[in-house]
Amino acid sequence: MQYPYSEKTFVITGATSGIGLAAAEQLAQGGARLIGVGRSPGRCRECEQRLSTVYPQAAVRYLPADLSGQREIGQLAEQIAASLPALDGLLNNAGTFTYWLSLTPDGVETQWAVNHLAPFLLTNLLLPLLQRAPAARVVTVSSDSHATGRLDWDDPQMRRHYNGLLAYGNTKLANILFTLALNRRLGEGARVRAFAADPGLVKTDIGLKGTPAIANLVWKLRRAGGISAEQAAAGIVALLCDPALQTAPQIYWKHAQPKTPAARALDPLAAERLWDLSARMCAGQLEARNVAA
Amino acid sequence: MSRPETPRAQRSLVMISGAAGGLGKAFAVECASRGWDLFLTDLNLESLERLACALRASYAVRVQTYACDLSEAGARAALFEQIRGLRFWALLNIAGIDHEGLFYDQSSAAIRAIIRLNIEGTLEMTHALLACRDPLQPFRIVNVASLAAFSPMPVKATYAASKRFLLDFSIALREEVRELGATVTALCPAGMPTTRENIEAIAAQGWLGQVTTADAGLVANLTLDAALRGEMIVIPGLLNRLVRAASALLPATLAARLVGRRWMGAHQRRGLRPGQAAAQ
Repeated sequence: MQYPYSEKTFVITGATSGIGLAAAEQLAQGGARLIGVGRSPGRCRECEQRLSTVYPQAAVRYLPADLSGQREIGQLAEQIAASLPALDGLLNNAGTFTYWLSLTPDGVETQWAVNHLAPFLLTNLLLPLLQRAPAARVVTVSSDSHATGRLDWDDPQMRRHYNGLLAYGNTKLANILFTLALNRRLGEGARVRAFAADPGLVKTDIGLKGTPAIANLVWKLRRAGGISAEQAAAGIVALLCDPALQTAPQIYWKHAQPKTPAARALDPLAAERLWDLSARMCAGQLEARNVAA
Repeated sequence: MSRPETPRAQRSLVMISGAAGGLGKAFAVECASRGWDLFLTDLNLESLERLACALRASYAVRVQTYACDLSEAGARAALFEQIRGLRFWALLNIAGIDHEGLFYDQSSAAIRAIIRLNIEGTLEMTHALLACRDPLQPFRIVNVASLAAFSPMPVKATYAASKRFLLDFSIALREEVRELGATVTALCPAGMPTTRENIEAIAAQGWLGQVTTADAGLVANLTLDAALRGEMIVIPGLLNRLVRAASALLPATLAARLVGRRWMGAHQRRGLRPGQAAAQ
């Protein structure tokens, strides 16, 4: 039996639950070689064992890493580079929601660190590997919440007047601006293409982790009308794999169909400014690993 | 708020104690984002260096670090030796601890630790740093007291009293150092959601915990503005200012009774019955 992805390699962050796990399953079913990344070593072991058993056609490995720390992201990229000759697809899926302001060990607001800087840094560190594949994709999971995003350049992380939901929207806006700037840097006709995905409203637990009771309730009511993680993942897997999309000019997609994001998400000046800011915020790891972003 | 431009090498520093903790980190980031050069101290060198690296890269400021247990006299002396020759224009005394629980349940070591860090540590830092102040500019001191400083507080008896000490000390010192061109600002926040334990503690207080809570980033920002204006007391949040006003009007016995009821309740909701000590 022929498997569609048997020649392909993928890295998926946030791959132990929700959309990331569903995407990992679909790629594993297609015989891919994949590395899943998760925060909990225990859940990583479970997922690796289960997927390897259910899909013997695939080569599944999980690496635990806490993407809120830049040093951990650097170590993860090193481990990935040591175990893969080339990379056909990177799925920046890991995301978090925090109700209260919290700062990572690097002094960065947690959502800004996990939802935006982690994809930025991991992508830049893995770019040499992506460029070794004949045609590669970087897919970053954004969301329609990007429409509430307004980046205040004096305080892009909202440290001074924190609101968890607005800060989340800002990071999802940043995901699209990052994708825009990355494609501009890669140039037209590049072998590596970047897309941002709107998964739609998906039944996951993102709004339940460490939030007050009332916010939990609101999220439970909202997600009741959502689609399953499997449905959401199908569209994202298409963005990672469908050869027909290699030259598609659109950058924002929902269920494998192009979609127009908010005008702010397509502002090339904002995209460049965000890129420079992000490169400065990740300068430690980028310089330590000789990568120019 | 901007300060006059001074050549880089001559710029004096801001000292922050407890800089790797929740509130201290928020202060360190806020100061760095304003372009201020820093000297950070906390217990753990690795967390300090990690934060310092990120601040240097993100905000192009100079950051020195030194790991030190400020509750130990010997360690403090080593720190003061280390900073000899440096000049400072601000001191943020953020380091502090609380061991919540009934007094008679606590070990004498836990009780001593509160006094040694919150009081001895803060006072000696203030004394040493006044001697290292930059003579060419106003010297700003920020002490972290607490909303707990305004009334006696069962279940946090030692902690609240140590914060009362810092509040009164700050107000008195402020008058003494006025002629040196220095100011002292006492920050009196309610609980802040900086750690998982704190978030649980806030949740255990119910809606009152929720609405009296201010994020550490906001607190750091408005405290620094207040310190630059030389204000005496900063209480983040309108409701918290009302709590303070109310506790000033009530007799101490009644205030302690009311506060005690609230804390005992929260203490029990967290599964910590009287007779069972909890360290925060």
